[in-house]
Amino acid sequence: MNPAVHLDGITKRFPGVVANDDVDLAIERGSVHALLGENGAGKTTLMNVLYGLYRPTEGTVVVDGEPRSFASPRDAIDAGIGMIHQHFMLVDPMTVWENVVLGNEPRTWGGLRVDEEAAREAVVELSERYGFDVDPDATIADVSVGEQQRVEILKALYRGAEVLIMDEPTAVLTPQEVEELYGVFEELTDQGKTIIFISHKLGEALSAADEITVLRNGVNVGTVASGDVTREELAEMMVGREVLMEPATTPQEPGDRVLGVTDLRVEDDRGVEAVSGISFELRAGEVLGIAGVDGNGQSQLVEAITGMRKPTSGSIEYLGESMAGATRREHIDRGMAFVPEDRHEKGLVMSYDLVQNGILGSQHDPPFASGGRIDWNASTEHAESVIEAYDVRPPNPDADAESFSGGNQQKFIVGREFERNPDLVVATHPTRGVDIGSTEFLHERLLELRAEGKAILLVSSKLDEVQGLSDRLAVIHEGEFSGVVDPATVTEEEIGLLMAGETLADETVSGAAIHDSVDDGLGGGGADGGDGGAGSDRETAADGGVDA
Amino acid sequence: MIEPFVDRSVAERILISIAAILLSIAVGFAIVLVSGRIAECSTAAWTMPVTGLGFCYDPFEVYVVLFNGALGYPFAVGEPGIFNPSWTPFNLSLGLTLSETTLLIFTGLSVAVAFRAGLFNIGTQGQLVVGALATALTVLALAPLLPAGPISGVVIVAVGTLAGAVGGGLWGAIPGALKAYADANEVITTIMLNFVAANVAYVLVLEVFRAEGSSVVATRYVPEYAQFSPWLFPDSSDFALLALLVGVGAIGGLYYLVEHTPFGYDLRTSGVQAAAAEYGGVNAKLTTVRAMTLSGALGGVGGAVWVLMSEGRWIESVPDLGFDGITVSILAGNNPLGVLPAAFLFGILKGGALEIGFRTDVPTELVGVLRGLIILFVAMPEFFRMAGRYAGLGSDGPGGPGTTGNDDGSEGADDGTDTKGTAGDGTGSAAAVDGGELDA
Repeated sequence: MNPAVHLDGITKRFPGVVANDDVDLAIERGSVHALLGENGAGKTTLMNVLYGLYRPTEGTVVVDGEPRSFASPRDAIDAGIGMIHQHFMLVDPMTVWENVVLGNEPRTWGGLRVDEEAAREAVVELSERYGFDVDPDATIADVSVGEQQRVEILKALYRGAEVLIMDEPTAVLTPQEVEELYGVFEELTDQGKTIIFISHKLGEALSAADEITVLRNGVNVGTVASGDVTREELAEMMVGREVLMEPATTPQEPGDRVLGVTDLRVEDDRGVEAVSGISFELRAGEVLGIAGVDGNGQSQLVEAITGMRKPTSGSIEYLGESMAGATRREHIDRGMAFVPEDRHEKGLVMSYDLVQNGILGSQHDPPFASGGRIDWNASTEHAESVIEAYDVRPPNPDADAESFSGGNQQKFIVGREFERNPDLVVATHPTRGVDIGSTEFLHERLLELRAEGKAILLVSSKLDEVQGLSDRLAVIHEGEFSGVVDPATVTEEEIGLLMAGETLADETVSGAAIHDSVDDGLGGGGADGGDGGAGSDRETAADGGVDA
Repeated sequence: MIEPFVDRSVAERILISIAAILLSIAVGFAIVLVSGRIAECSTAAWTMPVTGLGFCYDPFEVYVVLFNGALGYPFAVGEPGIFNPSWTPFNLSLGLTLSETTLLIFTGLSVAVAFRAGLFNIGTQGQLVVGALATALTVLALAPLLPAGPISGVVIVAVGTLAGAVGGGLWGAIPGALKAYADANEVITTIMLNFVAANVAYVLVLEVFRAEGSSVVATRYVPEYAQFSPWLFPDSSDFALLALLVGVGAIGGLYYLVEHTPFGYDLRTSGVQAAAAEYGGVNAKLTTVRAMTLSGALGGVGGAVWVLMSEGRWIESVPDLGFDGITVSILAGNNPLGVLPAAFLFGILKGGALEIGFRTDVPTELVGVLRGLIILFVAMPEFFRMAGRYAGLGSDGPGGPGTTGNDDGSEGADDGTDTKGTAGDGTGSAAAVDGGELDA
């Protein structure tokens, strides 16, 4: 039997760049195939060739034993290939079924009227066949990201897709939704559909795929069955060298107090209290990790500390001075570096090139501002040095931020903030979307900053990251610290319980926190976190575990 | 990096503008012909070859007069292509063209600077009215205190212009402050303040500052020596080279301010991505107020120049310079450097329209249509980009976001919409670029 898709010697050249170099790839019908590689390895280009967005420079796309030449995605769709992008292309105010049929609506009245009954019926029938749990009449804006993804899948199926390409499908999902997605994969492959998904996360490929193909610098390094390979082997295939999976941290005596937070309360944009009385201290040369399920007040806590959001009560003391009423500008000027959670909204100005982005936050400070003007030469040098040190690809300071892939954008932001010569680094998900080779580097750099005596507040949803890098690990749940533990001795189960708002019976775990005055809110979070929370924590752990 | 003239998009923009003007001429050509066929006249102005059909208006003549006339006929009338030996640049028609250009430079810059800060200042008209009145009253009050003469003239013109800037600036600061501290939409406040400005100024002049014996609502004339001197151009052209030079200086200054200073960086960043600006330590409220004040001040200087160059007094019939400034700014892509050619285009259309009315039988309404067409086509660059892509002129491959947008576009057609995909961070675009540009 022919493979569902066979890419035969695909080469795709762009001016000055070979994105895919003679890639051969055969994908069996009814299988889940992971396309694994670092940021910029050529995964997306290869899939865009398959989806008809690019024409290959050389090579042939063979679908179902038939050589094809796609002029546009329309041709690919006709050949039974559907692609689901990382960011969905749905119309928010419209309903699920409207989105599914959009562009291919069944019609009546000689094509003048959409046959709403038939359309809705078709969508209901389709989602039942694949066991999708979506309400056809819900409005897209009201459904979760996971559901939106299923709507995208339905859309592809509605158009007769046999092969589904998914670009980093888990990037936007919560751990529970990832688990549900794996269930959807199973359902689809059971019914003979073929799935190709792009990923740079090892664990994801290992747990969801039947076969894994690794791309490196546009070349197919090899295809392996997911049962026959270890994480370490895969990592080495991706990066081309052995990868240190665990950051090597050395014990170090913390110095003076840099940050003191006392009984901090912060509201979110809707006016709901998101941080409910958090207190902690952070010393020079110390990394305090904050773990927790996203949306438990991490964002608001970090924004209050960095001057992006006014706390409703409580105090923040930084380098011995109160930061009450200080502007964001003053926070920056006093040496606070901040890697924000949202790189597209805050971290980068998407329409600026990297030279201009490199001075974001320092635009009024020497050496970039002198004599009332911006010194573009100094700015260019700065951008170039960050690009080189943090391996931002392509190394072009004149390219607009939006033209870089997410991982490279992130590397640039982290580089800019780390090289600010700060006293305090507040880093939120610093390695989100970053491939393992660069993650390793960012972790090393973070530990160097720690060795230089910087205070570091690290918020991450990757459990192994916070656990591996932190000197102390605070777990946040519903705006309170449910515990502060020693990351070296705590187990994943214990962290999972804390993330769900449970308290630990054995309170000695928080012994690592004795040197500060943490009000760890034991019992404050209540014991009703529920199984869902606990379950998700384990998935976070699993996700984190496989991620770096 | 910040070299706009080597920027592909700027070259593209210029090319598009030329194509737009040519296309609008082609369309206008047809309209002139059709209306020339409908109209009645004793002798045909133009006879179509082969068919022998006669038309009342000659479309060639219309466009030749429009552009040639706006410049004061550098090419001989009736024999286009032959240089007119008696032509001098210091003629009445070119003066009228440049007068309009000068005024629109200031209002265009006013709108542009607000735009760059992400603010839609519809209130340049009101700021101009207030600035003009401030200038007229200041000069009328100051002139009697100084001895008449050219030296006083320089001082008075400088102080009068400054007064216009202050008046317009304060008037612009109001919607700025309302936006920053009371969350009032600047589009609405500036529109409303236009009415307030026009009517308050009218009543003030009517009741308090009206010149004695004047049949219109206007102030007294400011002394001749206290106006921008026409120098080489005829007096009746209402144009002063010095004012144009001030305008060009303002263009350069504003360009430098926006592109090369920390304040400009804050302003632009607020305009394109407010959340990132805030992250970068920009005080959003203060930047809003400052940008609106600067915008108002530029509109106010436009008013000052209108008084001190064109009218010699404040008069109730203030032309719609502020509103034309919006179009000028958009044509210029809100780039200060683009304001010069955009304002000049408007000036030519104004000066040329006068000539057409003077030289031909073509009704002025039709000339208005032709003007509108030119602006319409120039203002739709995306149409020409699409046309260019169909013609295969666009660059291929990972040239940049533009090309990626193209890919997304075709893809979006299938998906019904790709608003999310092209929003900048969409995988649709990011991924496509990833594939192309980043897989180094």
